[in-house]
Amino acid sequence: MEQFQGELIDRVFDRGICVKCGACVGLCPYFRYFDGIVAVMDRCVAGTGRCVQVCPRAGYKSTAPQENATDGNGIGIYRSVFKARASVDTLHEGVQYGGVVTALLAYGIENSFFGGAIVTDREGALAPSGMLAESVTDIARCAGSRYSAAGSLAVFNKAIKDGKGNLAVVGLPCQMEALERMKHSIPDGAQRESAVSLRIGIFCTWALDYRMLKDFLRANGVTGAVKKYDIPPPPSEKFVVFTEQGRREFPLMEIRGLVQKGCSLCRDMTAEHADISIGTVEGEEQWNTVVLRTEKGEAFFEEALNKNIVEKAQLPDQNLNHLSTASRNKRKRGKNAELELSREG
Amino acid sequence: MLKNVIITGVGGQGNVLASQILGRASVRAGLKVTIGETFGLSQRGGSVMSHIRISDKKNYGPLIPPNMADIILGLEPLETIRIAPEFGSDRCVYIVNSRPIYPLNAIAGEMEYPNTSWIRDVLSSSGGRLYWLDATQHAVELGGPIMLNMVMLGALCSIGGFAVNEEEIRGVIQDIFPETKLKANYSALEMGKRLIKEYAN
Amino acid sequence: MNELFEIKGGDERLLQGNEAIARGALEAGVRFCAGYPGNPSSEILETLAEAAKELPIYAEWSINEKVALEAAAAASFAGLRAIVSMKQNGVNVVSDFLTNLTLSGTGGGLVLVTCDDPGGISSTNEEDARLFAKLSDVPLLEPATPQEALEMTKWAFELSERIKNIVILRSVSRLSHTRANVLLGSIPPYENRAFFDTKSPFHTFPVLTKHLGRHRKLDEAMAHYEGSSFSRYDGPERAEMLVISSGSSWNYAAEAVEILGLTERIGVLKLGMTWPLPVNILRRYLKYSERIFFVEELDPFVEEGVKALCAELASEVGIKEFYGRSSGHIPICGELSPSVILGVLGDIFSISWRAEEYRARMKSLLPQPSPPREFGFCPGCPHRGTYYAIKEALAWDGRNGFVSGDIGCYSMGIWPTGFSQVKSVHAMGSGVGLASGYGKLGQFGFDQPVITVCGDSTFFHAAITALINARFNNSDILLLVLDNSATAMTGFQPHPGTGSTAMGEKVEPVDIETVCRSLGVGVEVGDPYDMEHTAETIYRLMQEAGQRVLILKRKCALVQGRQGGFPYTMRVDQQKCLGEDCGCGRYCTRIFRCPGLIWDSSVKKARIDEVICVGCGICASACPSEAIIRQQKAPN
Ligand SMILES: Cc1cc2nc3c(=O)[nH]c(=O)nc-3n(C[C@H](O)[C@H](O)[C@H](O)COP(=O)(O)OP(=O)(O)OC[C@H]3O[C@@H](n4cnc5c(N)ncnc54)[C@H](O)[C@@H]3O)c2cc1C
Ligand code: SF4
Ligand code: SF4
Ligand code: SF4
Ligand code: SF4
Repeated sequence: MEQFQGELIDRVFDRGICVKCGACVGLCPYFRYFDGIVAVMDRCVAGTGRCVQVCPRAGYKSTAPQENATDGNGIGIYRSVFKARASVDTLHEGVQYGGVVTALLAYGIENSFFGGAIVTDREGALAPSGMLAESVTDIARCAGSRYSAAGSLAVFNKAIKDGKGNLAVVGLPCQMEALERMKHSIPDGAQRESAVSLRIGIFCTWALDYRMLKDFLRANGVTGAVKKYDIPPPPSEKFVVFTEQGRREFPLMEIRGLVQKGCSLCRDMTAEHADISIGTVEGEEQWNTVVLRTEKGEAFFEEALNKNIVEKAQLPDQNLNHLSTASRNKRKRGKNAELELSREG
Repeated sequence: MLKNVIITGVGGQGNVLASQILGRASVRAGLKVTIGETFGLSQRGGSVMSHIRISDKKNYGPLIPPNMADIILGLEPLETIRIAPEFGSDRCVYIVNSRPIYPLNAIAGEMEYPNTSWIRDVLSSSGGRLYWLDATQHAVELGGPIMLNMVMLGALCSIGGFAVNEEEIRGVIQDIFPETKLKANYSALEMGKRLIKEYAN
Repeated sequence: MNELFEIKGGDERLLQGNEAIARGALEAGVRFCAGYPGNPSSEILETLAEAAKELPIYAEWSINEKVALEAAAAASFAGLRAIVSMKQNGVNVVSDFLTNLTLSGTGGGLVLVTCDDPGGISSTNEEDARLFAKLSDVPLLEPATPQEALEMTKWAFELSERIKNIVILRSVSRLSHTRANVLLGSIPPYENRAFFDTKSPFHTFPVLTKHLGRHRKLDEAMAHYEGSSFSRYDGPERAEMLVISSGSSWNYAAEAVEILGLTERIGVLKLGMTWPLPVNILRRYLKYSERIFFVEELDPFVEEGVKALCAELASEVGIKEFYGRSSGHIPICGELSPSVILGVLGDIFSISWRAEEYRARMKSLLPQPSPPREFGFCPGCPHRGTYYAIKEALAWDGRNGFVSGDIGCYSMGIWPTGFSQVKSVHAMGSGVGLASGYGKLGQFGFDQPVITVCGDSTFFHAAITALINARFNNSDILLLVLDNSATAMTGFQPHPGTGSTAMGEKVEPVDIETVCRSLGVGVEVGDPYDMEHTAETIYRLMQEAGQRVLILKRKCALVQGRQGGFPYTMRVDQQKCLGEDCGCGRYCTRIFRCPGLIWDSSVKKARIDEVICVGCGICASACPSEAIIRQQKAPN
């Protein structure tokens, strides 16, 4: 079946629901991720539309496994769930919480489990954007969370075009879904699948629209690049930014107005298509929640554990319950939003 | 005597220079000539057409009335069939260069450039006489596509019964080109002559 | 010595209408020549500037038409003969000075030449500048052939000196760009006696007296014209129809009557002066027929004047039936042609003249008319790079921004060759004036970014005042000056930034960057060939407020072609070319659209057209798969 770029424009861009995962970017000249948005550059006429096939928002049949399989906890299919943190030696500066993501990546690169990792760089003059990290220095520099979507899969696409393979990909749940869709995309799904060695998903409730965030910060007197963002666990209801000038706090309520529209359709909080999913542990900022989902993910994590790269502990039931509820709620909200959107036509 | 000649082509093909040479040659020959040029945005890939009216009596108006061209010198095939219905006639002689210059919209795939052999068929079924020449190809061999207009002028003066002869054209070329360029231009004229002869056989 | 400037005359030469006007001015002893380039008028001043290298006359490309006329008027006030030339739009620019100048009157013969462009073939508008003659009460002459252009120009100077007012000579593209045999007269000897007589100043006061005087001068002009030989009548004394024609279109009328074999039935009157209308001549010929057919380019100017006259003279000339624009026989816009006139006369007199059989045959062979050729920037044109960068920056910005365009080659940005980025084009400098306005609309909820573009020549002509306006009123404006070191659209005339004058004198160029800096606006300089970097710069500037100027410097491709050419030989690696497949979708030929890249339909890959590509190399960076390869040309 022929699929055209026009469908993506109709279904996603015209409705303003692009979540800037970057999956459609970097394949061709028709999309660009630039300063926090994915821009449609020109009209394409190719009828093989990889862009349409991979987009997690184009509205094609969801590939999310939880919709078919049993999903007791509301966090998708998994092998184990626990909490973990980087061990003292591997804890990098600037990590968001337990530093597990960064520690795993650094370990993987150093020991050639993968040749490079797709991560998200800090902002400079322009918005945060993806980066192909090929050294521990690169990995470390990208530690920490940017709370806006940064199109990092564009860099993945570019890397494949440049003939790279054996890559780890760190991404938000929508990005993990896009990776899943890529597997089945025609004509080069198999090639793209085989280029991915490890998928590390990070939990996500929503992501902000970078440009709205920037305008908001500017309006509130915050200029210059942000060094770190933080959302301290509930009930703080705060959004914190650290810049050259210091620390600024904003009520989370105000920030919610800056969430990108497409996030409202998202049903996945815990990156159900990843090999390993990693998030925060409420009330324990030095830890991460870790969900091992696949054999591959499990094997890799075990290695890292054996080498004392990370340490793990039991995740308290109360935290798991919380996570389940939050995750189920997100799924429900997403379903409703989608219904509403389809009614709008 | 009145000879109505149209030179048609695309900006950059040397249409205006060719018609000027023809005009000056006519004045040299003691004839009255009027040349109307339609160019506009010609340098920018547009259609360019010159009307050249040569007479021994008076200066005619700058535009040839419909279907009164005696000769259409087509520097480009599509441009030739563009004007053939309006200016050609049963007694019109078409001298046409076979090499297309593709319009941007054709390159972009938004328009189909007609097959050149089809254009050739249309012109040979028009009722007029057709000379279909691979003039660009030979111009390139002589030193570049810029020589095309000279090749076509050479062809024009050798079809017989034309108002201006080759001697006068050579005379004008000598007036306007520097010494170093004369030889190449003369050989282009020769080439045009040869192409007509070969085509006639 | 250029044979066009020979003093003696007596020979017949092939002259273009514009050259004939220039020669006519020389034969009238013109000393001061000024103008602003614009198709179809440019060759007049170009020719005079060439002449100025050999004869003791002065010629300049002025910064705009108004200044041109002012400079020329100074010469006239000092007793010298002077000429200014421009296209129809230029007359709009001079009109403020013109309508005052015609009150003060002039000294030495002063002639304003306007070359109108019926059909708007190389203009942004279609305009009949003759109306300015009526508006400012000055004589209007319309030559019909190059020979007449020469003679009428010469005569215009005499007339101007006789009535002490400026005279307008109106040409049209068809005359300006027609070449024909022209018999040259001689050029008179030169004397240097420029002097402003302070006892007879030139001003408009008292206004009413001067206004009255202006009308008296018109009467005098009419009388003088009626004694001249510029009117012509061919036909019988009792005609079934009288054609009243002026200018170049007279040729079509005369020939149509001949082709239709109607020379004994139709009379053709050619008027050389169309304002004021020569009443006595008209009085005489109007009696020849009850049916009057008007043949003139553009507005029904003569038509309306003659109709009014017919009403006035009704008892004398009788009741008329009129054919022309208001009767619908002639289209209300567009250029005339022999076929339009043949069509009207053929229908009225029921004479068939079309080659019906041939046309029918061609219609069956060619059922569809050939598709028009899309206009495009030349291969190697820096504007392609500029608009590509603009397109990128606007897409990245995503706020539905657009380009406020101006006049020059780059006006073609409204078409796909400029990625259709330009959304408004009007007059010289207007793009910048508009931008200055948009820049104040933020307070009304306007949040679309606007980029305005203007060329180097346009910058000096009228954009600079708009930029100062933006600076003064603190408007948010982003101006890209597309500096290609040429007035390319009209044939590379020098301007203040090029460092040489019309006469080829070297002068210190007026540096646009310095000018902008001195205004206190932000200035950056970029290279349009470096498309990605330029796009990033534009994007960055778009995010800022205030007045920002980005000067994009690259020589016009045609100039570069003459001054050393381009660095690369290009080819497409068809192995790497993705063609129609996903990942490209024919990007270079469909979107980038340089005519140097063509589509090879046999293999479904792109290819370089070696006949067209000049080797600028910029397309290489647009190709998504690095299939367009540049190779350094061997130095020669
Ligand atoms: C937009 C966003 C929303 C989030 N929402 C939640 C949530 O609701 N609940 C929760 O438990 N956790 C959430 N997280 C995850 C959390 O912030 C941490 O990234 C995660 O817990 C891993 O912590 P860490 O200490 O291992 O991170 P680190 O070791 O610091 O590594 C973080 C990694 O994430 C990558 N990254 C940074 N920003 C982005 C981005 N915008 N897109 C993709 N990758 C990025 C970095 O390149 C780095 O490799 C969110 C993260 C983001 C970016
Ligand atoms: S991904 Fe393919 S189909 Fe989609 S826009 Fe790009 S080239 Fe066109
Ligand atoms: S959601 Fe992702 S794939 Fe879909 S349009 Fe946006 S960036 Fe492209
Ligand atoms: S842009 Fe590149 S890949 Fe695409 S058709 Fe042109 S040469 Fe081929
Ligand atoms: S190099 Fe490319 S852009 Fe430049 S003229 Fe040739 S085809 Fe056009």
